[in-house]
Amino acid sequence: MTTSDEFDNLTTPLETSTSPALKFDVLAKCSTTKARASKMHLPHYTAHTPMFMPVGTMGSIKGITTKQLENLDCHVILGNTYHLGSRPGPELLEAAGGLHEFMSWNRGLLTDSGGFQMVSLLRLANITEEGVEFENPHDGKKMMLTPEMSIGLQNAIGADIMMQLDDVVSSLTTGDRVEEAMWRSVRWLDRSIKANKRPTEQNLFPIVQGGLDARLRTLSAHELIKRDSPGYAIGGLSGGEAKDSFWRMVSLSTDILPDNKPRYCMGVGYAEDLVVCSALGVDMYDCVFPTRTARFGNALVRTGSLALKQGRFKNDLGPIDPDCSCPTCKNYSRAYLHTTVTKDTTGCHLITIHNIAYQMRLMRDIRQAIVDDRFPEFIREFMSIRFGKTVPKWIISALQSVDVDLTAVDEKTGYSATPISDDFQKVPNM
Amino acid sequence: MTLHFELTGANAAAGVASSATASPRSGRLVLDRSLNCEASAPASTLAPAAIALETPTFLKYTRHGLQPHLVREVAAELSDMPACTRVQLEDFLEDDGSACGQHDAGLHNFVFLDRSEVLLLDTLDPTVTRRVGKSTNSFLAIDSEGGTKRLTPEVFAQLVDRLKPDIIIPPADYIEEPLPSLTQGKRISKSVTRSAKWLDESIAKSVYPSAVFAAVMGSHSPELRDISAKKLLARNDVAGYVFNDVSLALPFESKLQLAQHSLAQLDASKPRYMVGASAPDAALRAILGGIDLVDSSYPYAVTEQGFASTYVFGGEGAAGGIADASAAGAAAGAGRLDLWQESMFNDFGPLVEGCSCFTCRSHHRAYIHHLLMTKEMLSTVLLQIHNMHWYKGFFADIRSSLARATLAEDAQRFLERYGSSSEAFGELETLATQENSPTTKIQRKRHAEPL
Repeated sequence: MTTSDEFDNLTTPLETSTSPALKFDVLAKCSTTKARASKMHLPHYTAHTPMFMPVGTMGSIKGITTKQLENLDCHVILGNTYHLGSRPGPELLEAAGGLHEFMSWNRGLLTDSGGFQMVSLLRLANITEEGVEFENPHDGKKMMLTPEMSIGLQNAIGADIMMQLDDVVSSLTTGDRVEEAMWRSVRWLDRSIKANKRPTEQNLFPIVQGGLDARLRTLSAHELIKRDSPGYAIGGLSGGEAKDSFWRMVSLSTDILPDNKPRYCMGVGYAEDLVVCSALGVDMYDCVFPTRTARFGNALVRTGSLALKQGRFKNDLGPIDPDCSCPTCKNYSRAYLHTTVTKDTTGCHLITIHNIAYQMRLMRDIRQAIVDDRFPEFIREFMSIRFGKTVPKWIISALQSVDVDLTAVDEKTGYSATPISDDFQKVPNM
Repeated sequence: MTLHFELTGANAAAGVASSATASPRSGRLVLDRSLNCEASAPASTLAPAAIALETPTFLKYTRHGLQPHLVREVAAELSDMPACTRVQLEDFLEDDGSACGQHDAGLHNFVFLDRSEVLLLDTLDPTVTRRVGKSTNSFLAIDSEGGTKRLTPEVFAQLVDRLKPDIIIPPADYIEEPLPSLTQGKRISKSVTRSAKWLDESIAKSVYPSAVFAAVMGSHSPELRDISAKKLLARNDVAGYVFNDVSLALPFESKLQLAQHSLAQLDASKPRYMVGASAPDAALRAILGGIDLVDSSYPYAVTEQGFASTYVFGGEGAAGGIADASAAGAAAGAGRLDLWQESMFNDFGPLVEGCSCFTCRSHHRAYIHHLLMTKEMLSTVLLQIHNMHWYKGFFADIRSSLARATLAEDAQRFLERYGSSSEAFGELETLATQENSPTTKIQRKRHAEPL
């Protein structure tokens, strides 16, 4: 696995921003879509974007050593503040010199605020102006996570990028609650900025909220920009909402957010979503999906995924993906993996390694296509392999909004797609 | 293909007065594949002229052909390991008697094992003490997740021809004996006859020239063991002997005595592999009693408890580090460090001070403790690396001690040092009754009920 070298010939940034702990250089822009390829200089590492960040919840990525993660070309990984805040806790992390030192990882780290886990994992989560009130799962005591406490935990963890505590509402929520949450998130952002004790070592990203309401999203984005943060996240999506609403909110946000700063769409990890959102101008993503699905024996491929537990792989002597150069694909057959997935930890590790490699390779291909200014061509190639003749309508609409029309017949390849109303299509329709 | 075993150096430890067949010996096991029928394979897959293993040593224990928890590039962090690996067929056997699909490029290739490794194919997982299943004259019944699988000598032979392992242990009629029962005489007698028949058929029905290690049967009956040994001695196609009384519920000392009883009647120039003698104290006693090979299932059992090995064999120029004096007294006495302990929470030292393994160079106790507490699989990966490294050092020390002819004294000191702890080296027994791996929901098959 090679370190990304897409930018070797590009030194002059088209857009740039310099913040106390982050320098962002947009080195290539797609002349058709809103995609850009950039370098993000962080305190611990220079990451290349668009980038996917695997999730290492508790300080490790499911059985993979940090050395393996480096070999897989991961630039930034995610840690969960809620889990790390409970175990091993901020005092120990400080004593260890921060999470980088604790887990022996030398590249980039990003931590979420802890709010999302709290709201989704804990039974009693009551949100007040002060913070998120919850029941400690270990002893049932009422506790509070405030923006100040979240930043305190994240300062102890020491990640390159921290997320503000936001008032998260489900994307399916409607009514006044959505606006209330949006404004509260802005107030919590200001409290978070004030509470950050390490502004020259750690970046604090605000999170655009507003549910599926264009007016609220617009207000939120404009408010956040006034804080002149090093980068911005788009949150409150990827929660089961209709994909047609999803992409519109993403695109609206990237239209407003400054070009010279990174945009991070939280909770996005499916390959097609990564391709589309990159075309809409997003630079960073995280998702548990690739590593979680690996543990069930599912290997990611350009056509979707292979459930290697299935009997049809018993005699399949090829690798997961003949074009993949990860250690699993170079050395093991689907037939071998079939014997061991879900049965031994090594079976799990082998698929996890491949799935991370798959995501990294996808992002490298996206970056290279943008640098070569052939991203629309790449998008068509990708969609034709992934979906075949029929593509979910939301993808077609989203791409049309940035001048890539999958329904038009491609002159060179003859490929075109017809829309289907489902948001998902599991296998390609050839 | 030939497998050659020669005794080297001083073969009797000073002060051990016993027959040549039941005393420790240094040896060299050499596998030469150059006369293989695979000579037409492309140059890149041709084995080196010969692979030499210095004994006493251990076969690497695997699950589905890989060392537990260690994918290839992680296992590569372990240096100077003996180049021999054991695989059990039951990991791959399907209900219909097939294994490894229709793959026909050999087992080395299927599990991505380098050709410079000696590959031994056995039938049953040595960490599982319960065989269960009613075998008949025609087949060995293997209990597994999907039900009982049947292994006939004929199927075994076919698989050998396709998988092409270097050494095979043909299926024998292993029987379940939860507690020694002296009324089992008839059953034992049957197992001796059956196993001899299966050995005959396995060899006769396969073409591939794997070296054969034959199981010495007879359970706890000296007379029946004599019959089994006699049959084996009469053969000219057996390259080594296997003692596998894992499911016999007798103390290890008794099992070793039974093995030594058999050894007296067997060809002393052939190598001996004892299954179930993996723990350091058992391995030492077995080696003192003339055993040449054990397997590394013990380090795996240590890992599964969340422990890191710290036992020190010592002697001049010992390869292992010294157990950390700050560890709780009981832990040092049991030859392992319990990473679950609360005291590990903020301990930023390595597992063992001075240990040169990947884990000890890269991580500290507090991190591994955290990984165990949060049920992260990396915990067992890191522990397994250390425990295998430690085990390798232990065997290197044993071989040095044997070469200096001080094995008896060094072993005595070792056994006394850990003899006072009732917990020392009991991890394999605990593993046999353990339901789950500490960090996953992967169920352990055929775990025995705690006694």
